[in-house]
Amino acid sequence: MDGPVSAFDWSHTRGLLAGRVAIVTGAGGGIGRGLACALGLAGAKVVVAARRMSTGEETAALVRADGGEALVSETDVGKRAAVDAMVAAAIAAYGGVDIVIHNASSALSGKAFALEDVNDADWDEQCDTALAAPFHLAQATFDSLRRSGRGRFIIFTSSQGLHGGAMNPVYAATKNAQRGFAKALAREWGPHGIVVNAVAPAALTDGARDYLARDPERSRKAIASFPLGRMGDMRDDIGAAVVAMCSDHWRYVTGQVINVDGGYYTAL
Amino acid sequence: MPADVRLDGQCVLSIAIGRDLSRSVVDGLADLGAMVFRTGPKLDLSSRASVASGVDEAIRAHGLPDLVLLNVVPEVAMNPQPIAALPEGEWRSALMEGLRTTVRLLQALAPHVKSKGAAIVFVAPSLSLVGTPDMVALSALLEGQRGLMKSVARQWGGSGVTLNWIATAPRALAPFEGVALAAKPDAVSLALGRAPDPRSEIAPAVAFLASKAGRAMTGATLMLDGGEWMVP
Repeated sequence: MDGPVSAFDWSHTRGLLAGRVAIVTGAGGGIGRGLACALGLAGAKVVVAARRMSTGEETAALVRADGGEALVSETDVGKRAAVDAMVAAAIAAYGGVDIVIHNASSALSGKAFALEDVNDADWDEQCDTALAAPFHLAQATFDSLRRSGRGRFIIFTSSQGLHGGAMNPVYAATKNAQRGFAKALAREWGPHGIVVNAVAPAALTDGARDYLARDPERSRKAIASFPLGRMGDMRDDIGAAVVAMCSDHWRYVTGQVINVDGGYYTAL
Repeated sequence: MPADVRLDGQCVLSIAIGRDLSRSVVDGLADLGAMVFRTGPKLDLSSRASVASGVDEAIRAHGLPDLVLLNVVPEVAMNPQPIAALPEGEWRSALMEGLRTTVRLLQALAPHVKSKGAAIVFVAPSLSLVGTPDMVALSALLEGQRGLMKSVARQWGGSGVTLNWIATAPRALAPFEGVALAAKPDAVSLALGRAPDPRSEIAPAVAFLASKAGRAMTGATLMLDGGEWMVP
């Protein structure tokens, strides 16, 4: 890159989501933590749904340190009872839910294996998080989102998966299924005033950073594939885009897969 | 004008689980000279081993296929219902088990199709590409299968196996009564003014994918919808 990238100025965004309540799944780290922090900076009350209480508390502390408000719920999103309890806690604490962001992904998502090596345990683990969880979330939050008048349901998919990632067929299947989920649900919930979209991010997660750091030449080639010359910051690039999608500015955009990836994938 | 693609002497295996949306297409493949063998209803889907056993048995009886048509649409996925009212068991059966069965069938087919460099084709309604209200599970299932198709196309391409997806007008395959299918709002919403006929117009496209001329195409989604959506 030969052009400067200015620091993200959050001062203009503060209050954009004031009064909204946002659930973020998989918020105990990675992109989910970036989303929680971004939503908090924009004034939303954030429900940090994390598999482990300790990592959820770390995220909540970051949200609060920036002046935001957060509630932590230890949640296995693949379990209906856990999702119901998390949503009930959000409603009890904040009176409703306006925004649902399903970002959680199985730890196996990044594992490479051939189709012939897919077994039931791996399948169940990935499918529960990718496909059972959004069903639980949709059922548990539908009434709140409908009452909100500004309901948003955002699901995190993957451009790599949508292109048919070769080394994890389960990931390719589930991420494409999420595309169908978002498009169908957008049509179903549009009459209720609920906006449904999917996001396909390319974020500089800790895992991506480690991967790139291990091989500078591979890193140089990979980064060269990004027209913007860098991977996205989890809070200031991915989170900021999601804040915009949750705001009134994006209230007329629904049923779309939004690539937030620095232009990495332009074919979809 | 080239002669129509023929499938004389070629072996076609049709595997249909649940609602058989590709029945007429398979009839059309027989019209083109293929030896067609159908299986599905009798397959034991309860485990990977049982699926593999059933597929092995069908192939032992009828021979290695040059072309496989794969159709996995659990009946429950065809019932329109708002997601808010859908029992979790139906969601799991329609979407998650439907996808799992598709994976198991592909796993079972792997040694056979790799040995021959066969073509695998899915024929499905285009409704998943645009999304259909009250059919979130079916939309997700079909898109999930389409993603799986792409991933496996990348994995098996080196063995000469191709996998492709044909998306067609939904009502060319099933009535979809009571379903609010999306339609292209346009002065000419459907270029040809009609949906393709599965037997006489979709089957030849499937045959092309199995022919020598079609072997460079894999991981693709072909829109055979009479010119409605025109994507990408």
